[in-house]
Amino acid sequence: MWQDLHAQLESKGVTVVTVALDVNTNDALPWIEAAAPTHPSLIDNGHVTDKLFGFDNVPMAVWIDETGRLVRPAEQASIEPSKPLPTLPDEAPERLHKTFAELALFRGDAEGYLAAILDWAEHGAESKFALSEAEVVTRTGERPPEHARAAACFELGQWHWANGRPDAAVPWWREAHRLQPENWTYKRQAWTFVTTQEGQPPDLLQGPNDVYEGNWLDDLIAQGGGATYYTPPDL
Amino acid sequence: MIVDSLTIDASTFASETGWEAKPEGMCKGPECVLLPEGARTGDGCLNLDVVAERLRMPLVEDADSGVWAVGPRGDGPALESALAPELTLPDANGNPFSLSSLHGRKVLLVAWASW
Repeated sequence: MWQDLHAQLESKGVTVVTVALDVNTNDALPWIEAAAPTHPSLIDNGHVTDKLFGFDNVPMAVWIDETGRLVRPAEQASIEPSKPLPTLPDEAPERLHKTFAELALFRGDAEGYLAAILDWAEHGAESKFALSEAEVVTRTGERPPEHARAAACFELGQWHWANGRPDAAVPWWREAHRLQPENWTYKRQAWTFVTTQEGQPPDLLQGPNDVYEGNWLDDLIAQGGGATYYTPPDL
Repeated sequence: MIVDSLTIDASTFASETGWEAKPEGMCKGPECVLLPEGARTGDGCLNLDVVAERLRMPLVEDADSGVWAVGPRGDGPALESALAPELTLPDANGNPFSLSSLHGRKVLLVAWASW
């Protein structure tokens, strides 16, 4: 998907850079190998792009112009509409029905966002989608002290994990979750290590577990439900 | 940034945070923040606890491990300007790649994850 867009826009002066928010590089590699990117495909073990740009979920993106200035802040970045969900049999577990009900509420504007990217590629600073510096800063908003502290706690957890102490990472990641509950990258990153079975594909449902207080479905409902999981880009 | 001492070389602090120690204080772009007495050690180093507090950066101690994490600046705008921060990350082969190497091109920076 992103590779196709990069190939389409490279001659227009646009480079797509993908960044995998994965503490464990090996978790990201199969996806990168499958995509065979010719664009820069980077791995952000420490989720540093969260604090640098304000990412709190994926996929999100920023636009940077030729002078190195952000012209769109962190925002939802889908360029393919979601596929319709399959119909669950009635006898499927109740929790799975609840999950699908929330997934059906996800919001997005993939077509609009893709059209905006193409317009920017064509018109650059003259594109109506390229925002002023003041607008970029305003839209990015404030960083409350607890969010700054959450970033430090997440980094401590990542440091322990990278040094072979996954158990020592847990209390720091729990604290990051408490301080910034709306940051799904902190939560989903931590949950995947306790709900995914060894050697299996990632468990994307990330259900209740014995290590963390939260889980994907219950936290989503507590925070407002599927309609709040993604905020469509304000185009 | 993870550190194992509360005394940090000013150049290291600058490369990690973008805040440079200058005679007038800690500066990043056009903004300078005055430092109180005791913030500098006199040998090109900074007292991290003093500087972090003045810059509103959380300093979180992991006492069991003897390290601290310095968080990003809080209680203010998440972006101080629209100038994209320098970012260097490894690619799939472990080779470092700097965003600044794409100066002169438009960049669409997309975050994704395996999870």
